[in-house]
Amino acid sequence: MIKRKKFDFMLAALLLVLILSGCVAIFTASTTTIGEYTTTQSHWWKQLIFAGISLGMIFLLIRLPMPVLDLIIIPAYLLNILALIVVLFTPEVNGSHRWFSFFGLNYQPSESAKLLTILVVARAISRDNLTEIKQILYGLGLVLVPVLLILIEPDFGTTLVFFFALLAMLVAAEVPLVYLLLLVSPVVSMVSSLWWPAILIWIAVLVVLLLWSRLSWVTTTIAAIINGFIALIMPVFWNGLKDYQQSRIVSFLNPMADPLGAGYQIIQSKIAIGSGSIFGKGWLLGTQKNMNFLPEHHTDFIFSVVGEEFGFIGALLLLTAFILFFWRIITDIGEIKVRERKIASAGIFAYLMFQTFINIGMNIGLVPATGIPLPFISYGGSNLLFNTLAVGVILKYLNERGFMK
Amino acid sequence: MNRSFPVLVFRITLGLLFLLLAVSLFRLQVLKGEYYGRIAESNFVRIRRVVATRGDIYDSKYRPIVLNIPSHNLYLTSGRIGNTEKLAVFLKTHFGIEPEELRELVFEQRFKTYEEILLADNIPYETILTLSERMGDFPELTFRSGTTRHYLYPNHFTGYVGRINEEEYKLYREEDYSLNAYIGKTGLEHYYEVLLRGRDGKEIMQVDAQGRSLELFSENTSIPPQNGLSLILSIDNDLQEYANSVFPPGIKGCVIVADVETGGILAYLSKPDYDPNIFMQKISTEVWAGLNSPAKPLLDRIINASYPPGSVFKTVTGSKGLETGVINRHTRLASCTGGLKIGNRFFRCWNAGGHGSLNIVDAHKVSCDVFFYDLIQKLDLDAVASHAKACGVVEKTGIDLPGERSGFYPDRKYYQDKLGLTSGLNGYKANLAIGQGEVLTTPLQMNTHYAAIARGGMIIQPHLLVQTMGSGRITREQLQPLAKHQLPWSASTMQTIRDGLWAVTNAPGGTARAINVPGATSYGKTGSAQNFMGNVTHAWFCGFIETDKPDIVITVFMENAGGGGAMAAPVANKIFNYYIGNLDKIRQPAPIPAQFRTSEERLEEPPEPVEDPVPALEAEAVATTEPPQQEAGEGAR
Repeated sequence: MIKRKKFDFMLAALLLVLILSGCVAIFTASTTTIGEYTTTQSHWWKQLIFAGISLGMIFLLIRLPMPVLDLIIIPAYLLNILALIVVLFTPEVNGSHRWFSFFGLNYQPSESAKLLTILVVARAISRDNLTEIKQILYGLGLVLVPVLLILIEPDFGTTLVFFFALLAMLVAAEVPLVYLLLLVSPVVSMVSSLWWPAILIWIAVLVVLLLWSRLSWVTTTIAAIINGFIALIMPVFWNGLKDYQQSRIVSFLNPMADPLGAGYQIIQSKIAIGSGSIFGKGWLLGTQKNMNFLPEHHTDFIFSVVGEEFGFIGALLLLTAFILFFWRIITDIGEIKVRERKIASAGIFAYLMFQTFINIGMNIGLVPATGIPLPFISYGGSNLLFNTLAVGVILKYLNERGFMK
Repeated sequence: MNRSFPVLVFRITLGLLFLLLAVSLFRLQVLKGEYYGRIAESNFVRIRRVVATRGDIYDSKYRPIVLNIPSHNLYLTSGRIGNTEKLAVFLKTHFGIEPEELRELVFEQRFKTYEEILLADNIPYETILTLSERMGDFPELTFRSGTTRHYLYPNHFTGYVGRINEEEYKLYREEDYSLNAYIGKTGLEHYYEVLLRGRDGKEIMQVDAQGRSLELFSENTSIPPQNGLSLILSIDNDLQEYANSVFPPGIKGCVIVADVETGGILAYLSKPDYDPNIFMQKISTEVWAGLNSPAKPLLDRIINASYPPGSVFKTVTGSKGLETGVINRHTRLASCTGGLKIGNRFFRCWNAGGHGSLNIVDAHKVSCDVFFYDLIQKLDLDAVASHAKACGVVEKTGIDLPGERSGFYPDRKYYQDKLGLTSGLNGYKANLAIGQGEVLTTPLQMNTHYAAIARGGMIIQPHLLVQTMGSGRITREQLQPLAKHQLPWSASTMQTIRDGLWAVTNAPGGTARAINVPGATSYGKTGSAQNFMGNVTHAWFCGFIETDKPDIVITVFMENAGGGGAMAAPVANKIFNYYIGNLDKIRQPAPIPAQFRTSEERLEEPPEPVEDPVPALEAEAVATTEPPQQEAGEGAR
C-alpha cells in the first residue's frame, strides 16, 4: 500500500467559501436602514476574526502529532462532561443554562461535546471483535451522558444531532441494517402510538422484518415486547402531562398552532424567504430583514436573509455549495481506511449535515424550530470554531501518514 | 472502492434531504413568491401588544377622581421611514417635535424597526382631520386611539403618569413594560403602580392593508389583557372641595382632614396646587415656568416639606413632663412676666404682658411659652427626643404616598456633633419646648399625633386607599396591615392634655375661640411658628371634634400667614361645621356602582328604591361615566 501525505485542498476551499459566504450574510443581516441612515452592527468583522482563529486552529491541529491527539481525546471528553454539569449552575439566559461567558465571549459546552463525543464513540466502537449489540450499546452509552445533561439545560434540538451522528457512525461501522432498525424502532413506536391503527401496523411490520432477517426468536420477542410496552405506556404518559407541557410539545411539532411563539418566527421567516422570489430583493435591500421582525436574524434565521435578498437563485447557490462540501466529505470517508477515523469522519459528516438540513428546513417551515444554527454561516464564535475544527479533524486524518492502511 | 455501502447510504441521504430542501424552496420562492411578496409589502404580520386599561381612582363614594378618557396618539414605525428630512419638517410644524428629539427616539431602538414608537399623545381630533390628507405621504406614521388619564381636580395625592423614561425602562423591562408604556411618576399613581397597571395582552396581527385576514394561522390565538384594579380612597370629594373653597386664596399651606376611627384621610389639600392633567400633554415653557415659580405649586406641603411646628408641639413637651412626674395637673411653674430669663438670655413669651404662674391645662389654653421653657429645664433632652419619636411627630407616618419626609428633633449627640456643645443647652432646650429651634415636623405628622389623642392614644398609620375594585377586591388591611402603636401616655396624662386642648377652643381666654361647633365637643391647639422663611409666623391649627358619630381630626397649616388662632383656626372651624352639617350625607355608605358589582351582588341588589333619591342620583352619575370608560377599553384594543 502507498504511504503518503495528502492535503485535501478541495475540501479546504469549499470550507473557506462557506465561511466567507457566512460573513457576507452576517454583514447584510446586521445592517439596518432608517430613512437615509444605514448602520451595520459589528458582528461581521467579529465573525471574520473568529474565522481567522478557527482556521489557525486547523493549522495547529494538522501539525499536532497524531499520538498526541489520540491521547487527549478521552480526557477532553471527560472535561467536557464536567463543563456540561457546571454550566447547569450558571445564571439563566433566555430560559436555559447553556452558556459560559467570559470577557464578553460566550462558550457553549454542548458545541464541543458534539465533536468530542463523536471522537470518543468512534474510538469505542472501532475496537476489534465487538459484537453488533455491543457496538450499539457502547455508542448509545457514551452518547447518552452528554445528551441527558444537554436535555436538562434544556436544549432539545442539539440532542437530536447526537443521535443522527451515532446512527451514521454505526452505518460506517457496517453494523447490519436490521440492528439499526432495532435501534430506531422505539422512536417509531413512540410516535405511532398516538394513533392506534398505526402502532398495530408498525409492530406487525417490525416483527415480519425481524423474522425475515433471521434474528433469533429471543431477540424478536424482546424487541416486540419493548415496542409494545412503549406503545402502551405512551398514551398514559401523554395524559399524565400537564396542559402547558402538552401544548409545548404540540407547538414544537406544529409551530403554526402557536402564533405568538414559534409559529410567529417561522411565518416571518417564510414571508421573508418567499418574498425574495426568484432573483431576490438585492444586496442590503431586504425589507423584512430591515423591519427586524425576526429577533437575532444574524444567528438561527440567517438563511431567511439570504433567501430574501438573493432569492431562489442565491439560496440554491448556497445549497449547492453545501452539497459539494458534503459530497467531498463523503468521498473522503470512502478513502480513509483506518476504521476508527472512518467512523469518526462519518459522525462528523452526519452532525454537520443534519444541522444544515434542520436549520434550513426550519427557516422554510419544513421542520420544527429547534434553535440549531446554520453551520459556517450563522454568527457565533464557539459554533464556528468547533464546526471548523470538526472539518479540520477530517483534513488531518487525510493528511496523516498511513491514512490508506 | 468508493462504492462501499456506507458511502452509498450517505450519498443517497444527502441527495434526498437536499432535494427536499430545494423543492421546498422552489415552492416557497418561485411558485408562491408573489403571494409572500404581497404579504411582505403590507408589513402587517406582527405581534401586537394589547395595552391593559389602567385602573381608575374613586373617592369613598365611588365618585371619580381619576378616569381614563379616549385619546388619539401618533405612532412612528421607524423601519418604514422614507425621507427623514421631510418627516422631521412635518413633525416639527404639526407636533412641535424637534428633529434632534426625533433622531434620538428613532436611533434608540434602531434594531426594533418594526415596533411602533409613540410620538405624540392627546392629539386634538381637529388636527387629525386636517392632517389626514397628508398622512398618505408618510406611511411610517399612524394615528391610533388609546386612552389617557383625566384628573378631575387639582390635587397632590393622585400624582400623575408619564411616558416611561430610560432609567425606568432599564429597571422595569423584566416586568414587561414597553418603550411606549406609561408609568406612575408620583403620588398614588406611583405608589400603587402595581395595582393600577394590570397586565398587557398580546395578539397576532394577520390582516392586510385592506383589513382582510391573511389566514396564515388557523387559530387567532391571543392573550387578553388583564385590566388594572381601580382604587377606592377614603377621600370624600365633597369635603375635599369644601376645604378647597374655604382655604384663603393666595396663601400657601395645607389642610388635612382625617377620620379618627380608621385613620383614613378624608381631605388632602396642599396650596398652591397644580392640575395633573398638564402632564398629559407636552408642557409649554410658560406652564413649566409656573410650576417652578417660588410658590412651588408642585410641592406637597403635607408630607414633602417639614416646618417648625410652634405651639402645636406643646402637647409633646407637656405630656413628657406629666409622664416623668416632674409636674402634675396642678403644678404651677415659673411665673410668666412676658418671658423667662434662662442663663443670661431672656426668652420672650408671645404675650409681652405675661400670663402669671400657670398649671399645664391653662398653659395650653393660653399657649404660654414660659411654662414650657421652665418645664423642659427639668427634663433630660434625650428623653424628650425619644418621647417625640414615640409621639409620632418626627418619624415618617407611613402614608401610602411616595417621598414622605421625616421630621427632626435634636438630641445631645446632635449638638455635640454639629456645634461641639456638651453643656449649656438650656437655651436650645427652651426653644425646642415650644416647637421652635431645630425641631421640624410635617403637617401630616402633627395631624397623626392629634388623631391619636382624639382616639385615646392609638397611633394609626394614615392612609388613602380603602380597597381596590374591578377584577379583584383587596382591602388595605389585606394589602398591608395598618401599623398601630400606642402613645406612651398614661390615662391621667391623656386626660390632662385633652382638658388643655378642650380649654383652647372652649374656655374663655383660649387661643382658638374661633372654633365653635354646635353639636360637637371640640378640642384643638393653635401654633404661630417663627421661621427663617419670613418675618410673619407660620399659622397652625390642629384639632378634633367629638360627637356620638364618627369623628374627624383636622390640621390647617399656612406658610407665613400670621397667628394660628386668627388665620388657621377659622378655616378648621368652617370645615368642622360643614362636616357636622352634612354628617349624615358624608357618612352614608354609597352603593357599589354597577361596573364593580359581582354577578351575585347584581342579583341581590333590588332595583333602586324610588323614595330614596340620593343613591338613585348617584347610580345615574355612575351610568353617565360608564360609556366613555367602555370606549376607552375598546380604544386600547
